[in-house]
Amino acid sequence: MKLPVYAKVDLTTGRWERFEISQEYFKKYIGGKCLAARLLLDLTEPGLGPLDERAVIIVNTGPLNGTGAPSSSRFNLSFKNVLTGGIASSNCGGQFGVMLKRAGFDGLIITGRAAEPSVLEALDGEIRIRPAPELWGLDAEKTQERFPEWYGKLVIGPAGENGLLYASAISGERVAGRCGSGAVLGSKKLKALVAYGSKRPEIYDREAFDRFILKWIRFIKRHPMTGQSLPRYGSAGLVNKANATNALPTKNFQRGHFDEADAVSGETLTETRLIRNSGCVSCPIRCERRVPVDGRELKGPEYETLGFFGPNIEAADMDTVLRMNWLCDIYGVDTISFASSLAFAMELKERGMADFGLEFGRTDKLEDILLKVVNREGIYSDIADGTKRMAAKYGGEDFAINSKGLELASYEPRRSVGMGLGYAVANRGGCHLNGGYLALLESVGVLSMDALTPKGKAQFTAFMQDALEAVSSAGCCLFSAQTFVPGVFFKLGPNSPVTKLVGKVMPHMGPMVALLLNITPAIAFNSLLLLPHAEALRRATGLRMFTGQFLDLGERSYNLERLYNLREGLTAKDDSLPKRLTRDLQDPSDSRTRVPLEKMLPVYYNVRGWDAAGRPTRRKLRRLGMEEASK
Amino acid sequence: MAHRILENCIGCGACARACPVHAIEGAAKARHEINVRRCIDCGVCGMSCPVGAVQDASGKACARVPLKERKAPVIDVELCSACQICVTFCAAKALAISEPRFRGDVEAHCVLARPDKCVGCGVCEAECPLHAIRMEARG
Repeated sequence: MKLPVYAKVDLTTGRWERFEISQEYFKKYIGGKCLAARLLLDLTEPGLGPLDERAVIIVNTGPLNGTGAPSSSRFNLSFKNVLTGGIASSNCGGQFGVMLKRAGFDGLIITGRAAEPSVLEALDGEIRIRPAPELWGLDAEKTQERFPEWYGKLVIGPAGENGLLYASAISGERVAGRCGSGAVLGSKKLKALVAYGSKRPEIYDREAFDRFILKWIRFIKRHPMTGQSLPRYGSAGLVNKANATNALPTKNFQRGHFDEADAVSGETLTETRLIRNSGCVSCPIRCERRVPVDGRELKGPEYETLGFFGPNIEAADMDTVLRMNWLCDIYGVDTISFASSLAFAMELKERGMADFGLEFGRTDKLEDILLKVVNREGIYSDIADGTKRMAAKYGGEDFAINSKGLELASYEPRRSVGMGLGYAVANRGGCHLNGGYLALLESVGVLSMDALTPKGKAQFTAFMQDALEAVSSAGCCLFSAQTFVPGVFFKLGPNSPVTKLVGKVMPHMGPMVALLLNITPAIAFNSLLLLPHAEALRRATGLRMFTGQFLDLGERSYNLERLYNLREGLTAKDDSLPKRLTRDLQDPSDSRTRVPLEKMLPVYYNVRGWDAAGRPTRRKLRRLGMEEASK
Repeated sequence: MAHRILENCIGCGACARACPVHAIEGAAKARHEINVRRCIDCGVCGMSCPVGAVQDASGKACARVPLKERKAPVIDVELCSACQICVTFCAAKALAISEPRFRGDVEAHCVLARPDKCVGCGVCEAECPLHAIRMEARG
C-alpha cells in the first residue's frame, strides 16, 4: 500500500520537508477534506486567526485524483474559514491537483508568511519557494499566463491580495470559491502555486481498477442526470426547476419565484449562448458551459451565479451574469458571497439603512462596484467583509442571508426545509453541499420529497452529508454522486404516480436511514447504483472499502470538522439561520413555508450521535475510531 | 531509468520540442539535458534527434524515425467518454474534443485533429482510462 506523501512548507523560513501520512491515518481518513481536517486539528493551535502567520492551509488530493476515475480532478483546500472562524474546505476542479500528484505530492501543508509576494513550485518531487513581486496586482488570468501552459496552477487575484474575506483561489478557469481561500493565500503573500511532474499515480490493481472504471463511466453516460441533463444544461438547468417550486431566491430571499427567471435559465443559456459544453479533465459528465464573453470563448456561469446575479438582485440580464461571472473569477471573488452581499446592500438601501448606490433591479453599476469592493475603496470595503459583518455595522441581521457568516447558496430553504437544516448545521457555514444538498430531493430534483415537512429531514441530511463528504475525500466531484437517484425516476418523470409515491414515502423513511447509518459494518458490498466511489477506492488503494466503510469515512470527516468548529469556539447557537427564513413565512397563507429549525435540530443532533449542545459524544467518536481527536 | 543525451548533441532543440513531458532543456547550440525525474522513456527524443545523440535507458543508441513512420493514435469513438485526459496530456496539441454538430450537442469524443503535430509518444494511449486509444502505424 502506497501511503500519501505531503510536503510541509514554511513560507517564513522558505524551508520544506517531506511529511508522510501514517498507515493509520490513511486507513481512517483516506485523503481530501477528511484527512485535511484531521491534520488541521493536529497541526494548528486553537484560537489562531485565519490570517495569522502561523495559520495553516492544506492543499491536498484524494486517492482517486488523477487516476482516470470519472470526475477525479477535484482537489481540496482546507483552512480556518475567514468568514466563520470555523473550518473551511473548498473544492476545485482545476488541473493543479492532478499535476501536484504527478509532481510526487499528495498534498501541501503550508504555514508561515513570505517576506514578499512569492510562488510555490512543486516540480518533480521538489518544492521551491521563489519571490515573484512582479506578479502582485495581476488578475488570475494574467498571473497564470506567466507560467508554462502545461503546469497545474493555483493562483489568487487582486481580491486575495487585498484580503476580501470571500476571496477565492483559481486553477485554470476553475475556482475554489468559498470561505476565503484567496484571502488566506494572500495573507501568506503566496500569489501562486504551480506543479508539474510526469509520474502517473500508483494504482493497487490497475487492471481491475480500469475494468471497473469502464463500467462506471458507462453507467454515468447512460444515467439521465449525468448523461443527459447535466451535459445539456449544466447546473444552470436548475434555475427553472427552482423557480417552479418557489425555491429560487429572489430579491435577497424575500421571495422564491421570479417571473423573468427564464431569461437567466440553463435552457436560455443553452439555446442562445452556449458554444459547446466541456468539463474538468477526467470528467465524462461535461457540465461546463463555454460561452462568449467580450468576443472570447470562456467558462459560463453555474446555477448559483445565475441565481445571485439574476433573480436575487431582481434582475434577469444574461450578458451581465456572464460578464460578472468572468470578472469575479479573474479578480478572485466568490460569486455567491459577493452577489449575496450586493443583494443585502440593496435591501439596506430599500429600507433606508445604508446607501451603497445599489438598487434591486439595476445592474448598470455592478462592474464598477466590483472593482471598488476588490480595491476596498471607502464604504465598499464593508461589502468585502460579507453580510454578517455588514449587518453588525448597519443592522439587518434578520435578513443578512448567511449561516455562521458564510452566505447561503441559491436554494430558498423555506421551500426546501431540509436544505434549511443543512445550511444551519453545515460545518463551513451556509453551504448547500456541506449541508447535505437536500434541495436535490426536495425542490430541484426529479423526486419530490415533501419540501415543507421537517419529517425525515434530519436523517436524510446526515446520510447525504456523509456520502458527499466521502466522495470529496476520495477526490471526486460531487456531481459523480448524482447517479444515486435511480435513472428510472427520470424516465418516468416527476409527475408519474410512482415518482410521486416515492416522494410521499421518503419523509417516513427517516428511521430506516438512521438505522442504515448505524449498521455500516453490515454494508459490506459495493454497487454501481449506490456509491461507485467506494469500489474504485478499494481497487485503487487495496484498502478494505465497502459502502459501509465509505459512509463511515464521510461520518468521520463530518465529525472531525465539527470538532474543529467546537475547538474554535463555535457552538450549537451557531447552527442557525436568519429570522427571515425561520420566522417569516414565504407564503403568508401557508404556515409551513418557513424553516422549522427548532424541530429538526434536536433530531439531527440525536441522529448524529451528538449531545444536546451539538457535541459529538465519546461513544460516537469511539465508534468512528477517533476518540483522541477531541482532545 | 531514463534516456540520455550524448556529447555529439548539436543543440538543435528538436528533442526538447518533441518531448511530451517537457523533460529536456538546453541552450541553443549547446548540449541538451534530460531531467531524469521527469523522463518517461517514450523514446520520442531519440526518434527526433537528427544526429543520433540520444541513448535509451539500456544504453542503446536511438535511431531517427521520421514522423510519418511513427505510430499515431486511433480512437475508438464508441468507447471514448470525451474526458479530455488525452487532450490534456498531449503536449503536441494533436488531439482535441470533437466540435458540436449543433448548439447544445452533448455527443463528443476525442479526435486526432492535427495528425501532423503528433510525435507518436503514446502518452494518450497510456493515459486513457478506458483504453479507447491504440497506437497504430499511420495509414
